[in-house]
Order: sequence, then structure tokens, then C-alpha cells
Amino acid sequence: MAKSKASLRNLAKIEHRVAYWFLSPTFVIMLAIAIYPLLSVVYNSFTNNVFASSQPTTFVQFNNYCSLLNLTFKEVPPKVDKATGKPAIDPQTGKTQYQSAVSVLPRQPYRYKQAFQVDVAGKRYVIGATDPEFIRAVWDTMVFAVVTVVLELVFGIIVALIINANFIGRGFMRAIILVPWAIPTAVSSQMWAYMLQPNRTGFFNTLFWHLGLGDGQMPFLSDPAYQLPAMILIDVWKTTPFMALLMLAGLQLIPADIYEAANVDGASAVRQFFQLTLPLLRGTIAVALVFRTLDALRVFDLFQIVLGQARFSMASYTYYQLIQNRAMGYSSASSVVIFVVLSIFAVTYMYTLGISSDEC
Amino acid sequence: MNVKTKQLMNRILLWILILCMAVWMLLPFYWAVNSSLKSENQLQMMPATFAPRDTSTQQVFFYTRNYASVLTNKAFVRGMLNSAMVAVSVTVLALAIGAFAGFALGKLRYRGKTATMYTILAMTMFPQIAVLSGLYAIITGLQLAAIPSLMITYLLFSLPFTAWVLTSFFRELPMEIMQSAQVDGASPFQTFYLILLPLTAPALATTGLLTFIGAWNEYLFALTFTSVEPDARTLPVIIANFPAQFSQQVPFGEIMAAGIIASIPLIVLVFLFQRRIVAGLTAGAVKG
Repeated sequence: MAKSKASLRNLAKIEHRVAYWFLSPTFVIMLAIAIYPLLSVVYNSFTNNVFASSQPTTFVQFNNYCSLLNLTFKEVPPKVDKATGKPAIDPQTGKTQYQSAVSVLPRQPYRYKQAFQVDVAGKRYVIGATDPEFIRAVWDTMVFAVVTVVLELVFGIIVALIINANFIGRGFMRAIILVPWAIPTAVSSQMWAYMLQPNRTGFFNTLFWHLGLGDGQMPFLSDPAYQLPAMILIDVWKTTPFMALLMLAGLQLIPADIYEAANVDGASAVRQFFQLTLPLLRGTIAVALVFRTLDALRVFDLFQIVLGQARFSMASYTYYQLIQNRAMGYSSASSVVIFVVLSIFAVTYMYTLGISSDEC
Repeated sequence: MNVKTKQLMNRILLWILILCMAVWMLLPFYWAVNSSLKSENQLQMMPATFAPRDTSTQQVFFYTRNYASVLTNKAFVRGMLNSAMVAVSVTVLALAIGAFAGFALGKLRYRGKTATMYTILAMTMFPQIAVLSGLYAIITGLQLAAIPSLMITYLLFSLPFTAWVLTSFFRELPMEIMQSAQVDGASPFQTFYLILLPLTAPALATTGLLTFIGAWNEYLFALTFTSVEPDARTLPVIIANFPAQFSQQVPFGEIMAAGIIASIPLIVLVFLFQRRIVAGLTAGAVKG
């Protein structure tokens, strides 16, 4: 009896050792290409390292982070009319004239530049930053992430409901919706950039012109007002299929008999959707939302290819600092900022998903 | 309205929705095909035509030189080879190493399992941009060539993914199979290699497909690590920064042709393995 117990313990020990051996290649590789580079990025983010330069690298503490993240919020005073002593009003538009925003932004110890201007409750404010481009990139990426994820969720559910219905050619249809997902982002970005040309050689300008909308010269990609909507449109096209497939998987987990019961009770299709389908999809939706938000926050290909240096996402700004400016230290700091933001989402995601393992 | 007409109306509505969806999904692809079959002059026509038409007679006229010129473009052909080489090696590597991890996580009992599971899951979400400058420094420091660098660094996103998906497949295999192999005196490695691995072949195919697509489409690392080595560029990098060979203008006709050629392997895979891809995609993200 004692002997068999000992041999059981022995077997368990062997199993442990085998498991560690089987896992070791994965962990060694992850150590080499994820953990070690990440640590070196964190280290570099505290230096002024410039890639391939003769300038000696020194330790700059939190300077990179300060330059990236310094923000200030100031009210812009209106111009004063010398004759009346009251705020000057533009005689043509009837709007209050304001002083230049630069004059109210601090210059010491850091020089602030204007990132945004906002008019709230009859007053004008300026948000100054030491690196307004990064702050704008963060803001744009956030807006992009929120809007795309919400739109993709709504369209994803609609598409999932359609391809969950019974019709001839359903398999074919499911393959078709995979096409946007499967095409390389580099390719689809170029395709869309060409469709959005600022004259009637582009699809959208031609279409709108045929429909009598616009003058056929709409600068979708160079006018800042259209840039983010264009990015959102392309991403929604590209990623809705993925969302739809996640939702479809969720739909297929719902047992069919509850719908039969609802039909017997005479509940309308709309009511069934809002009172049965949607609540039962809640888990799937939660997982998909966090998963997609993570993806949207690190968007790179689309911004880099379509907008280049005209407008940045957080990732394309980091890339630009590294490759164009060779600012290893600075770009590392911006990497770390992104990493921290994404980690928060990743932890939320893992918490939502939960892990069941049969640990002994 | 009786039940029959109502059903018919629903049917018609469904088909309208299906049609709208298909048009929307394929719209950029249609426009790319249309544009790829136009010459420089045809592309300059305003308004643009919805099918390639002759500039003066307005007859439908397909111009195929874009494809010929892309397929004889040395950079493009090399890019295709580079992409194929990188994507295939990454897939094989990720499957081989990921299957080991998946077996351990799905079938073996050991201390610290939950922690390793969480680590792998966290790794599936690891942002590439976070380690870009670190990896770039290592690669230039070691003077690694771009193509092997890509093969290794793509494991950053493909290995955790394969390990994670394969874990769930291994877990579903009945324990008795493994136990009977052990009773017969098979070593753990033999149990894994001879008994369980063949049973996971469908899962390997699924994850392999997804890994291949991911590696074929990857852009950030490819762009960064080939920035000083143009010969190692993969297809996405070439298409995004298409070299103008002859004209000063951006050669949109050729870019569209190149994009379509680069997408064809993927579209073929999607139509052949639609079911598998859907299963694999959702296995990675949804708790079943």
C-alpha cells in the first residue's frame, strides 16, 4: 500500500516535469521576443537614446514621459475693444474675437503648444501640450476606438442575425463576409484610399456626383473633418465580419426551444430580439467589446498607410518617432504609455473571460 | 394579411438585406478589380466609369497590362516569395511549439497551471507596438537579416494564439485515450506524438490557417524591420509603398492589380475552409 502511494507520487512528479518540458519552448521564446524587449523598452524610455547617432545616451528620468503627457488647460481671454473696454466682436460674424491661444500657454519650464481649442458656455479654452501631436493621436485613437467598436457591434449583430437565418447559399454568404476580414489591411487600405480620391476618379466622389450630392471634389482624406470618419468607415467595413462571427457563435449557443416557447406565447420578433436574444448574448458581447477595443486602440496599418504623417494613431506616432526621427528613447516612452493603456483593457478582458483549469 | 403573404414578405426582406450586405462587403473589391483593368488614361476619366471603358468610344475595354507589369515586377515577385516563406515558416514553427504547450496545458496536471494559462492568454493580447523599438534594437544589434527576424518575431502573436486554441482542443480529447497509452507503456512524448497529435489534426489545420493568414497580412514588423533591407520586403509592405516604376504618378492600376493578386490566396483559403476558419476564430475569443 505504502509502495503504491509512493509510486503514484512519483508518477505525479514525472507528469509535472514533463509538463514543464513541454511548456519550456513557448516560454523561452516569449521571454526572448516579448519580455526581454519589453524590459529594454521600459529602460530606454528613461533615456534620450537616439538610434544610430554619435550622441552619448544619458539617463533623463521622466523627461520623455513629461514631454509626451504634459497637459495644461487655460482660458483664452477675449480681445478687448480699446474704445469701449468690452470684449471685441467681429462686426461681420457677430462672434467674440479672442486673443491668440499661444499667449496664454506657459513657456517655462516646458514650452506648451496648442493641442485643441474648445468653446464651452460662451468661453474659449485651450488645451496645451508639450507634444500636441501625441495628445491628438491619443484623442483620435480613443475616438476611433469607441466609435468603431460601437458601430461594429451594431452591424455585427445585424449581420449575424442575417447569416443565422436559413436560406439557400448560406455557406457561400458566410465565405463572402470573410473576404473583408481576410484581405491584408495594407491592401484594403490602398483600395479604400483609391475609392476616396479627392476628385471624380474616386468611387465615392463619382457616386455622390451622380446622386447630385457634393461637387465631386470632396477631399475625404486631406480635410481633417473627414479624416477620422473615413478611417472609421474603412475599419467598420473591415472588422464587422469578425464581430459578426463572434456574435454568430453566441447566437448558436442559444437553445432554439426558448424561441418556440416565445412564439407560442405570441411574442413579436422585435420583442424576442430585445427580451431574449440580446440578454442572452450579453456574455458574448462583453467579451467581443473588450477584445475589439484592444484591437482598435493599437490600430496602425490603416492610419500609417492612408494618412501617413497627416494624422497619427498612437501606434503610428510611435512608429514615426522610431523610424523617421530615430528617437529610440522617446518612442519607447510612447510604447510604454500604449502598453499601460492596453494592459488595463487586457486585464478587464481576462476578468470577463475567466479561466477554468483543473489545477491540482 | 394572412400568414403566407407575411412569410413571403419576410423572405423578400431577408433577401434584400442579404443582397445589400454582399454588395457592401464586396464593394472595395469590385472597385479594385474595375480599376486594375484600366489603363492610366482610363483611370484619369472623370467621372470614373463603373466598368473599364475606352476613353473615346465608351465601349467596355479591359486593359490587362497592369497584371502583366505587376507579375514581371521583380520587387513584387520577390515580395510574394518573401511573404510565402515567412508565413509558411511561422505557421510551422508556431504549430510545432504551440502543440507542445497546448498538450501540457490541456492534458497534463502540474503546479502553477492557472498562472501559465493566464500568461498565455495575456500573451495573445500582447501589443506588437509595445516592443517595436526593443526588438528593432535587438535585431540591429545582432545584425540579424530581416527575413529570419520576421520568422522569429511573428511568433509573438502566433505562438500564444496557437497554444491557446490548441489547449482547448487537447482538453476535449478523452482522458482514457491517454491513460490507455500510458498503461501500454508509452512515454509522455510518445503519447503526445503518436496518439494525441494525430487526433488534433483538424485543430492543427484550423489554427494553421489562421496563423498563416495573420503572418501573410502582418505589416508593422515587416515595415520596420525591412526599412533598410528592401529586398526582404513582404507583400503588404510592397503594396502599401508601391514603387512607381515608370511614371511620376502613383500607379493606382498596378497597385490594385497587385492588391488583388496578394488577396487571391486568402480568398481561396476563405472559400475552401470557411467552416474551419469560423470555428478557429471564435475558439480564440469566445468561451465555448
